[in-house]
Amino acid sequence: MIELTIAMPKGRIFEEAYKLFVEAGFNLPKEISDSRKLIVEAPGERIQFILAKPMDVPVYVEHGVADIGIAGKDVLLEQHRDVHELLDLHISNCYIATAGLPNTTMNDIAPRVATKYPRIATNFYKEKGEQVEIIELNGSIELAPMIGLADRIVDIVSTGQTLKENGLVEYEKIVPISSRLIVNPVSYRVKSERINAFIAQLKNELNKR
Amino acid sequence: MSKIQMFEKPLGMRDSFPEVNEQKEYIRSTARDFIRRKGYDFIKTPSVEYFETIGKASAIDESSLFKLVDNQGEMLVLRPDMTTPIARIAASKLLKEKNPLRLAYYADVFRAQQREGGRPAEFEQLGLELIGDFSPYADSEIIYTSIELLKDLGVESFRITIGHAEILTAFLTNNTENKEQVETLRQLLVEKNLVGFSQKLESMNLLKEKKERLNKIIDYTIDSNVFSDFRQFLNDDQQYLIDQIVELQELLEFQLNDISIVSFDFSLASHMSYYTGMLFEIHAAGSGFSIGNGGRYDELFKQFDEKVGATGFGIRVDRLLEVLPKVAVEEKHTLLLFDKGSFSKANVLAEARRNVSEYVTLQYAESVNDIEAFKQIFDEVIIVSEGGSVRD
Repeated sequence: MIELTIAMPKGRIFEEAYKLFVEAGFNLPKEISDSRKLIVEAPGERIQFILAKPMDVPVYVEHGVADIGIAGKDVLLEQHRDVHELLDLHISNCYIATAGLPNTTMNDIAPRVATKYPRIATNFYKEKGEQVEIIELNGSIELAPMIGLADRIVDIVSTGQTLKENGLVEYEKIVPISSRLIVNPVSYRVKSERINAFIAQLKNELNKR
Repeated sequence: MSKIQMFEKPLGMRDSFPEVNEQKEYIRSTARDFIRRKGYDFIKTPSVEYFETIGKASAIDESSLFKLVDNQGEMLVLRPDMTTPIARIAASKLLKEKNPLRLAYYADVFRAQQREGGRPAEFEQLGLELIGDFSPYADSEIIYTSIELLKDLGVESFRITIGHAEILTAFLTNNTENKEQVETLRQLLVEKNLVGFSQKLESMNLLKEKKERLNKIIDYTIDSNVFSDFRQFLNDDQQYLIDQIVELQELLEFQLNDISIVSFDFSLASHMSYYTGMLFEIHAAGSGFSIGNGGRYDELFKQFDEKVGATGFGIRVDRLLEVLPKVAVEEKHTLLLFDKGSFSKANVLAEARRNVSEYVTLQYAESVNDIEAFKQIFDEVIIVSEGGSVRD
């Protein structure tokens, strides 16, 4: 019997989160080798993992098809889903920042900002009182200033290496980002004992760090 | 905004097809019988109200209101909840005739949706209001009735989480410097953003011990069900709040066979800002969303210049449908097909069958395009002709 369903983002965060779970003492299969599998079971803990696109994790959790999810704060800020944000896992630490070509200012007539995070970018410039046009892109955001599509980009920065390699510099830090443990509001109540035990075990490991 | 398509409906509006409609009707009639036996009277209010009165008094955020303008230029709203209109009627008229007053409703409410067109913007709500009683007996009656109602309707697995708006406010106020900080922290608890809560707390200009105490309270509410543990966080004037919740728990223990479906969480906060005393949420396995909530809202009556105690709950019927096991309706539908000569005979036969509570459709055969497909829909088909009736 599966007791908990956990939605995990595929890719780098998955590796780090899975490592954290193993170190917290959860009895999980050593290796999740078959990378094409979308559902992986951990019978020892009666847990199943759903492997999802990072942007989709909060959707699964909001609708309750996953009880728990691991999601970046960037995704949570962008989507405003109705989920409980209970733990900061302190993994995949990075931040969202504005960047652009060195020594440039915003175009006076048509200031443009390219981003994967239209909502975060809109709120940031709204708070500053600057009117800009937000251009939503799905990847390779760094291209935009280089080819003249936008004056600034709003994107995730972890080491700054990607910016550097593309001749961009960081201008303003917007918000720090890390991975969070999110929980569906109904699961949190209906499966409260199981979920609180799960969180307590994770917290225990996090406090050691 | 793209061009409106032929079959498109406004954002969040839904048709209820016959099958779903029957399920809703089952809920409505079952709930109605149950609730009336508890001494509550059903009431209806207008779909449209003034923005100035109901719109502003309602706890629903203004951005979710459907607004329209009448021919006098007054701003109107489609009612976003039933509690506020009922408070208006109670304050203006009904409380003078009966006090305490027990009212119930089953009605459509309207809340505009910002995201994902599929989410309903109009949905049926089923609820109770007990007005004119400050006592914990009223609170336990409301919680107990909501539990019994869900059981009566056939909801199998659900949990009630009870909090207390004033206790939470006391915790926050005792450990912060101003109202703004209280509101910021409360809002984070409404979203149950515990990460945001401790981060915000860290960034606030507060004594270290206050920060530590608040973090401790949040941990406590999740781990502990022992109310006396919380007395240390309240000052002498606030101790009565714990007495209230202890009394409520005792009453519920007396009424319920199984107290395990009820749990207490003092960090529970609601987006409904008018709750003043106990408040609760109902979660059921089968829906990812809360199916209902309720609480004590004495504060709302101040808007109508009344000082009375009021407590109540509302359940969303659309969410209820999701968690209810499908009720198979045992009904036999019969089709009587007649032609020109057999009309009167078919009529007599149809009435005879309807009198014994059968469901009978009477149809002129010539008008049906695809007679075979049409016949398939019914449990029994009888072709009535001048010579005699033949079962098909």
